[in-house]
Amino acid sequence: MTKIIDLKIKEKIYKSKKSQLSILNNFNLEVNTGEKIAIVGKSGAGKSSLLNIIGLLDRNYDGEYTLFGSQTDHLLTSELAQWRNQRIGFVLQESALIDSLTIEDNIKLPFLYAGSEKESLRQEAFETVTNAIEIKHILKKKPLECSGGEKARAVFARGIIMNPQIILADEPTASLDVENRERIVNLLFRMNKEFNTTIITVTHDLEIANCHDRVIHLERSK
Amino acid sequence: MKIFKFFISKIFLRKAILGISMILLLCMANYITFIAARSILSTFQGYQETKCINQEGNYIANLDPDSDIDIDAIGEDGTQVVYDYLNKNFNYAFYTDGFMASIPNINDMEISLSYMNEEYYKLNQFELSQGTDLDFDYQFDKEIPVLLGKGLSKTYPVGSTIKIEESVLDRPLTLKVQGILKQNAYHSNYYAPNSKTYYNFSILVPANEKFIHHANIDLQWNGLMDVTILETTKEKIADLSDVIEDNLGAKFNFFSQKENYDYFNEYYVHSLKIIAVITLALLVIITCLAIWNVLVSVRLMLKDFTINLLVGLSYSKLRKIFYSYFGILSFINLMVIFAFTASNRYGCWLRKDATFVTYGLFSLIGMDWLALLVVAFSDVVIGIIIVENMLREIKKVPISLGVLQ
Repeated sequence: MTKIIDLKIKEKIYKSKKSQLSILNNFNLEVNTGEKIAIVGKSGAGKSSLLNIIGLLDRNYDGEYTLFGSQTDHLLTSELAQWRNQRIGFVLQESALIDSLTIEDNIKLPFLYAGSEKESLRQEAFETVTNAIEIKHILKKKPLECSGGEKARAVFARGIIMNPQIILADEPTASLDVENRERIVNLLFRMNKEFNTTIITVTHDLEIANCHDRVIHLERSK
Repeated sequence: MKIFKFFISKIFLRKAILGISMILLLCMANYITFIAARSILSTFQGYQETKCINQEGNYIANLDPDSDIDIDAIGEDGTQVVYDYLNKNFNYAFYTDGFMASIPNINDMEISLSYMNEEYYKLNQFELSQGTDLDFDYQFDKEIPVLLGKGLSKTYPVGSTIKIEESVLDRPLTLKVQGILKQNAYHSNYYAPNSKTYYNFSILVPANEKFIHHANIDLQWNGLMDVTILETTKEKIADLSDVIEDNLGAKFNFFSQKENYDYFNEYYVHSLKIIAVITLALLVIITCLAIWNVLVSVRLMLKDFTINLLVGLSYSKLRKIFYSYFGILSFINLMVIFAFTASNRYGCWLRKDATFVTYGLFSLIGMDWLALLVVAFSDVVIGIIIVENMLREIKKVPISLGVLQ
């Protein structure tokens, strides 16, 4: 198995006018290709911050991060954006859709930043994903016209449409009913099984966390 | 381009009210900048023109505003005595304009006749596009050599003659076209340098001593109002004032170079400073309002921006999109100012306003283009401030939070 993530954080500091908060102190994480990892912990422990760092959304921390074998602090912001587009998929809560776009446009949004090559392959991927996730019937609808479960599946579809090597899921089932929660988790694991995609899930739900290969508990800083 | 189109059609236009308010704010900023820049440029041009008359030892006449005169009581005998005194004791620059004449021309304009003597002509160094300089040694019962504005050059090319019933001499005259002035040649008011009249549909008539002597009271009186006495002394000027007062019953002030500069500094430089400060203050206020407007926009569109950042948009691309968007808004505003200026200039053509008609692309003249350039520059500055503030605001919010806004 290949090491895909090698992250060593000395600390991540959040500063406000009155105080400062240090989290993820001396936190190390190594992840291999195809692993399923759950991150759990109380609010404020740094779960989402960790996901932002892994997902190249935040470089403002003290530490070293090697992703796909490359030191990320040497990468340009345009390269980071390209990796976010093609190698990392984000699966967030169902509200993470642009309300003025149709579900189809929301799902196809990553195509906009992927250049004009392989357009027919992308259309094929779009057909496959929307069929598999069973959202064909809502493609022309706007998010506000869809149910929570439908929106969650649309967010999921957007996260996997570029067939990423890593999926970062931040509380993807937080506001879903049991049926839709299972559906999303099954879809995540199906991606892992079929494409050997690395899955990192931030969740409060221990039942879901325990379905992963590894569970990382984050403690709140004292 | 595809990404930019997407942002325009799917994001910015969905919140059109914010774009419209930005256009309105920019329009205000641009209009204020344009008017201020053009006033300053026009005043500077007028000042440059006046400088050739306003030399040391020269005194420019000005009717005392407190002088209690009875215009009807002024007769040609009185003015002639004054001119005789001037001819005998001084070199003086004589200029007067605003005498209208109906002369056939392809633009069907009323023509303005401007009269000047040789001293005035020499001091002003009129630039010609065709023909030769004015000749002041002529017999006005034969042909009088004249210069024409560009607007008359097609109807009356160099060498042609114009027969008119001249109101100043009250007799038919034959004018011979000696030369054509460069387009948009102008004359600034000595005491309001930002106010000018254009010679495009004017005839410049050389007025020698004999001409002035035979002219009617209107020309003689109007000529005295702005007459400039050259290379003289305060004492001699005092004597001249007495002669004028004795013969015309009018009190004239003659201002020296220093007094004219003081007047200019007191009234114009001071006014220009106030205009500049007010313009700057208004620009700062408008820029602050524009920043507030974009910060509201960012808050309303934060989710849209951050979702795009999440799926592959880089901050550098987002910066380019913002600059392009702001560029389009600025361009729209520049076009509005341009259209407004062009319609004003073109309005002079429609109204047949001969002394304000100008030539140029869409009738715009040099100072209009310069003022538009100043506006474009101010837009660049405002654009940098606004776009960088937008980006700073977007970067301040973690993407994960922005997405879930």
